[in-house]
Amino acid sequence: MGTSNYLKKISVWDADAARHILSRSLFGFTKDDVTFALTKTLDDFVDNYLLQDLTEPAAPQYNGADWVTLPNNVTNQTSYTNWFRSMVYWWYNLMITQGYSLREKMVLFLHNHFVSEYNTVQIPQLMYIQNKLFRQYAFGNFIDLTKKVTIDSAMLIYLNGNVSTGSAPNENYARELQELFTLGIGNYTEDDIKNMALALTGWQVNGGSLTSFFTQSRWANKSKTIYGKTGNYTYDQAVDLIFSEKTIPASEFLCRKLYKEFAYYEPNTDYITQLAAVMRNNNFNLKPVLSTMLKSEYFHSVDIRGARIKPPVEFLLSSLKQLSITYSNNDLPNYIRTTADSLQQSLFNPPDVRGWEGQRKWISTITYPNRNVYTDALVNGKTYNSINYKMNVLAYARSYPNSENAVQFVEDVTKQLIQFPLSQARKDSLLSTMLDGTVVGNWTTYSPGADTRLQKLFKALMRLPEFQLS
Amino acid sequence: MKRREFLKNLGIVTGAGAVTLTISGIPIKAFSRPFMNIKSTNGKILVLIQLKGGNDGLNTIIPYEDSVYYNKRPVIGIPKANVVQLNSLTGMNPSLQPLKQLFDDGKFTVIQNVGYQNPNRSHFRATDIWLSASDSNQYIYDGWVGRYLLKTYPDFPNIPPPHPMAIQIGSVQSGVFDSTEGGLAVSFDNPDNFYTLVNGINADTDPPPATIAGDELKFLKEVAALSIQYASVIKQKADLGNPVASYTAGGTFGSQLKIIADLILGGLETPVYLATLEGFDTHSNQNGTNSHPLLLTRLAESIKAFQSDLEKYGLADKVVILTFSEFGRRVNENASAGTDHGTAAPMFLIGKNVNGGVFGNNPSLTDLDSNGDIKYIFDFRQVYATMLKDHFGMSATEVDQVLLKRFETLALIKTTSDVKYDFNIPTDFTLKQNYPNPFNPTTRIEYSLPQSTDVRLKVYDTLGRNVATIVDAFQAAGSYTVNFNGSAYASGTYLYSLEAGSEKIVKKMILVK
Repeated sequence: MGTSNYLKKISVWDADAARHILSRSLFGFTKDDVTFALTKTLDDFVDNYLLQDLTEPAAPQYNGADWVTLPNNVTNQTSYTNWFRSMVYWWYNLMITQGYSLREKMVLFLHNHFVSEYNTVQIPQLMYIQNKLFRQYAFGNFIDLTKKVTIDSAMLIYLNGNVSTGSAPNENYARELQELFTLGIGNYTEDDIKNMALALTGWQVNGGSLTSFFTQSRWANKSKTIYGKTGNYTYDQAVDLIFSEKTIPASEFLCRKLYKEFAYYEPNTDYITQLAAVMRNNNFNLKPVLSTMLKSEYFHSVDIRGARIKPPVEFLLSSLKQLSITYSNNDLPNYIRTTADSLQQSLFNPPDVRGWEGQRKWISTITYPNRNVYTDALVNGKTYNSINYKMNVLAYARSYPNSENAVQFVEDVTKQLIQFPLSQARKDSLLSTMLDGTVVGNWTTYSPGADTRLQKLFKALMRLPEFQLS
Repeated sequence: MKRREFLKNLGIVTGAGAVTLTISGIPIKAFSRPFMNIKSTNGKILVLIQLKGGNDGLNTIIPYEDSVYYNKRPVIGIPKANVVQLNSLTGMNPSLQPLKQLFDDGKFTVIQNVGYQNPNRSHFRATDIWLSASDSNQYIYDGWVGRYLLKTYPDFPNIPPPHPMAIQIGSVQSGVFDSTEGGLAVSFDNPDNFYTLVNGINADTDPPPATIAGDELKFLKEVAALSIQYASVIKQKADLGNPVASYTAGGTFGSQLKIIADLILGGLETPVYLATLEGFDTHSNQNGTNSHPLLLTRLAESIKAFQSDLEKYGLADKVVILTFSEFGRRVNENASAGTDHGTAAPMFLIGKNVNGGVFGNNPSLTDLDSNGDIKYIFDFRQVYATMLKDHFGMSATEVDQVLLKRFETLALIKTTSDVKYDFNIPTDFTLKQNYPNPFNPTTRIEYSLPQSTDVRLKVYDTLGRNVATIVDAFQAAGSYTVNFNGSAYASGTYLYSLEAGSEKIVKKMILVK
C-alpha cells in the first residue's frame, strides 16, 4: 500500500552499518570491534551477540566486601556514600566491559524509563535491587517488568506507594505509571488515576529484609473503575488492564521511547506505528522489537546516522574505550563520576521522575565546554596516585595500517572516531592541525615531535561538535 | 510544527547563496538588507524564579481565617498562631518571614489564584504550558521569553547584542528561552569557571549539511558560539559587581541569586534571568524540616538579600522578580502528610516598582473543580502580559504577538517606561592595534564603524598574499571585537587590513611560536 515498510531489513551490512549499530548499542567500540562484527552476518550479530541473554554479573562490593544484602540500619547508613559510589563504578565497568551486548544500554534505558532517584530513596541496596531487575528484564517482557517495578522497593519509596492506603491513597505512582511509564498523557483520565491508585495500595517496604510486602488491611478492598472496566482489582490486575485495555497506546508509547533512545529524538510516527505492531504481535516482549529496530533500513538511513547527541555517561566511557585507555582502581572512575555530574548525568539520580530528557538538553553553554575539558584531559593525561591515565597517541596512531600516510590516516581515524559524515574542509583542517606546519610528504609518526602533533590532532578532533554526535 | 521543521526553515542552514562567516567565532550571515536601528530594551530586568515540582500555594499563602482550610488539612495546615499575617484574611508561611519587611514597604505583591483553563496536572506538560505560554490543549515549541527576546533583538543572530539576551543559572537550558533561532540564553553556574572553560574554544564556519543530523550539528555549533561570544563580558561584569548582602541562608539557591545580583550590579544589560529552586513535589511529609518550610526559607532569605543589594546600589527600580510553579496542590492533604498535584496558586512579584500588597482574594475552598482543586481567577499570561507591557514597555500589539493572543494586563506595576532606541554609535572609523602582540596563537582585534557598511577584515603575509579573511559581511554601525587564531600559520609578521566602504586601515602584527 502507500506506506513504505520502515522495518524492512537493511540490505547492505558493511563497515558503516557496523559502526552505526555498534555506536548505538555499546558504550564505545574500537576498530577491532568493527572487524569482528563484519565476520558475522547481520542476523547473527544482532540476535546472537547484541541481544544474547547473558548471565548476571557479580554484585558490586566496597573494598572487597559484599554490601548489597545488608539490612538498612543506622550503622550501615554511615557506609552508604561509599557503597553507592562503588555501585556507580561497578556499573561503569559493566558498561565498558560487557562485550558485544546491548544489555547495559537497555538497563540504562529502563533506569531512565522507570525512574527512581537515589537522593530520595537513600538506600543503595534498594537501588541495586532495582538495577538488577532492569538487567533481568533488559530483553524480557515489559508487562511483567511493569508489575515488578510497581512493587519494587525503591519505586515504592520514590513515588510514595509505601504510604498509600485504601483509606487515603497517594496518587503519585498511579499518575506516573500511566503518564510516564506506560501510556503517555491523553490516554487516561483523572478518575483512572484515582482508581488506579486504589488498586495499587497496600504495599510497603521492609528495610531489614530489603523486600516489599503486602498488607491486606492497607489495601482498598473495594470496586474500582479503570478505563471503564469495573472490578475489585489488585495491583497486577490493574497493570494488566493498562496493556489489555490500552494495547495500542501502550505499545506506541514504549516504541516511541525506544526510538527516541536508540534512533532519534524526534519520533517518526510511521516507523513507530509499524514497530508497535511488532511489539503487540510479540506480547510486549522486548527482544524481537529491538532486533527488528536494529536491523531496519530506516534505522540505518542517513537521517539517523550521526544524529544522536551522546549522553554524558556514554560520551565519557566511549571516549575511554575508543582511545584504549584502561584503569584498574577507582581513581579514574571517580573523575568520570564527578565529570558526569557536571555534564548532568549522575547515574541513579536522574533530575526528576521523567528522567533525563536527553539530546539537546545535554548541551548548554556550560556543559559543552566541560566536555572539551574532559577529552583534552584524556590526551594530556590525568595523574592519580602516581598513575598517569593518558592516551598513548603513538601506539594508537600506529594501530592504523595507514598511520604513516597523513591524509589517509586522518581519513581513517575520523571515520572510526566520528559517526557524523565529516566535511572535506573539516578533514583538511584536522590534517593541517596534525601537520602543524610540516608538509604531507614529511609526515611520519617516527619523527621527533610526532606525539605532540598527534595530541593536537586528537584534542582538536574530540572538541569538534561532530564528536558529540553518534 | 516540529522542532526539526523549525530548524530546517532557518535561512542559516540552507539559505541560498548565504555565506556563513565568522566574527569572534560567531557565524554571521552576510546579508544585504538595509541596517535598521538595533532596538534595545528599556533597561528593565526580569528575574524569573521557577519553583520546580508544583509549589503548594495553600501552605505558602494561607487563608488563616478559613475553617475549610483547617478541615481539609488537619495535619499539615499551618496554625493561625504561626502564620505571618499580611492582612485580616491572608497570611504567609512562617518560613517567609524574611519577606515581611518587603511586604510592609510595598515592594512585594502576592498575586492570588493564578492558573489557566483546563489545568494539566502532569509536571511536565504543565511546565511546558507555563514556559511556552500556551493554552492547555495547544502545543507550542518556543518559550514566551524566547519570543519576547526575538522581538526585542530582531537582528539576532545577524547582529548579536553585546550582552547576553538571557542568562540561566544552571546547566540544562530551560524551554522558556527556546525560539525559532535556537535557545537564546547563556547557561552557567559560575561566571569565573565559565570563562576559564570557554577560553580557547574555537567556533567555525563550516556550514552543516541539510539533514536531520546536520540540524543537530548546527545546534551544537550555536551553543558553542553563544558561550564563546559572551563568556568574557559575563566575567568582566561579574568582576565589577560587588554584592554585599549575605546569601548563605538561601543555600545553593542563594548562590544563584547572588550571581545574578553580581551581574546586574556589574552593569550587565541582560534583560531576563532565570534561577531555579527544586523540590516542591511534596507528596509526603510536607512539613518536615527539610521539605517545604526549608524551601520557602531559602526562597525568602535569598530574595531578601538580593533586594537589599539592589537597594544599596540604587538599582531596585530596574528589576522585578517573578516566581512561578507548574501548579499548586490539592486542597485536601493526602494520607502521607503531603499534597497531590493541584491547579491554581499564588505568584510572587518583588521590586521597588511593584504595587505591593495582596492582589486578589483568598481562593474559595468550597467552590472547587470536579477534582477537588482550586479554580483559577487570573490567567498566568495576564501576569506575563503585564511584565511585557508595563515592565518592559512593549506595545500592546507586540505583547499580543509574544503571547499569541490578547490578555488583559493587571495593575501590578507602578510606573511604566517605553522602549528606547540605542544610538550609542562610534563617531570614528578605527582599527586598533591587536592585543596581545606579538601573539601565539590567538590575538584580539578591535574596530569601530560609524555607519553600517560592507566590511572586510583580512590578513596578509609580507608577500601580500591574503592568508585569512576574518570578516566579510555587511555590518551595523558599532564597535566590534574579533579574535584571530594563528595556529595554522608560520611565525612571522602579518598585516591586517580593515576595509569598510571607501575607507581602509592597515596594521602590522607579529606571530611568534
